[in-house]
Amino acid sequence: MEFKDYYSALGIDRTASDDEVRKAYRKLARKYHPDVSKEPDAEKRMRDINEANDVLRDKEKRAAYDALADRVARGGHPEGDFQPPPGWDAGFEFHRGPNQGPADHAEFSEFFSSLFGEAERRGAARRNYRARGEDHHAAIEIALEDALNGAEREITLRAQELDAQGRPTFKTRTLSVKIPPGVHPGQFIRLAGQGMPGHGGEPAGDLYLEVRIAPHRLYRIEERDLYMTLPVTPAEAALGAQVKVPVPTGGVVEVTVPRNARSGLKLRLKGRGLAGKQPGDLYLLLEIALPPADSEAARKAYEQLAQASASFNPRHHLGV
Amino acid sequence: MATVSVTTAISASQPLAASELAHACGADTEWVVQLVEVGIVQITAAEAPPEHWRFSSTDLQYALEARRLERDFGVGLDAAALILDLQHEVRRLKAVIRAHGLR
Repeated sequence: MEFKDYYSALGIDRTASDDEVRKAYRKLARKYHPDVSKEPDAEKRMRDINEANDVLRDKEKRAAYDALADRVARGGHPEGDFQPPPGWDAGFEFHRGPNQGPADHAEFSEFFSSLFGEAERRGAARRNYRARGEDHHAAIEIALEDALNGAEREITLRAQELDAQGRPTFKTRTLSVKIPPGVHPGQFIRLAGQGMPGHGGEPAGDLYLEVRIAPHRLYRIEERDLYMTLPVTPAEAALGAQVKVPVPTGGVVEVTVPRNARSGLKLRLKGRGLAGKQPGDLYLLLEIALPPADSEAARKAYEQLAQASASFNPRHHLGV
Repeated sequence: MATVSVTTAISASQPLAASELAHACGADTEWVVQLVEVGIVQITAAEAPPEHWRFSSTDLQYALEARRLERDFGVGLDAAALILDLQHEVRRLKAVIRAHGLR
């Protein structure tokens, strides 16, 4: 495990005031917000600064982190091989503030979880606190076919336990997740009782998995609709045709291309998108593919077409 | 060996109650009432008491994002509602651009 320098993640000194931490975080969060950032690694940077912010804006966590950084500096731990010393957090107590959701923790690093995950729980236990465990959040990426047809997938999560010396250690656990047919991107799958353990004998929280659908070779997803580019020949587009089209649920259907179809024409296959109360549609975007003029016969055919359509000027609207 | 647990997809037939939405965001039901008031999450029957409200996956997504904006930027829920609307509009437009192969 790597020791994380939260101060350099936010680009601030160790002497930075709370206000400076807040300002540095907000500035970087705007720079790396995945919706607006042009940086290629925006998502990872956003996670790092979120994690640093979570520790440094909390007085107790920051003090414990500073003390630990001092110990690490004195002990000269080689980078990339960090284990928190036993009792590193003695005398500090962590608790979640009223505005501190559990929402981000699942995305934070192993370093963060090993320091603060268990410590937060022990802090709660010391105060005789009784409450259901926090819900956890993570994402699951599945193939489009799995979203359409349903599937069973295994995910591996890191869970934390204390070893005999009271040091936090990681156990990986594997969960089997049933993905019902018809899930769509952004939908949540809830796994009952797989969140954080309860406090004072109360039940565990739940794990929420946000569904993401992996990019597909043929289909693009927009809300519940699917889009596919359908190449047709000039003859098919001009004269109309019946063409075969693969559908995402498997199999092939015949589609009528109307006469005089132009490039970019959208054909809709109703209800062939993602399932649901209002199922999405499958849209076929027509793209005219030109056969190459690489044989005498093909060249002749193009010449005949040119003669037959001599009065057709595709640049008419350009005034030339 | 994988542990199999009860899996539910949050949907129209299996929605979240107000208390479940609040718990998933590390908040209380009173906070969910505020989300409804500013329109960050949608309920069908405004006159029904909070214990009868039902929420979708989209509501959970909006609520989690609102929670982060509140916490990390100290914004009020009214401003969070506007930011979320703009953010989702940007994502929608980017998806349209991609669907037309423009980027």
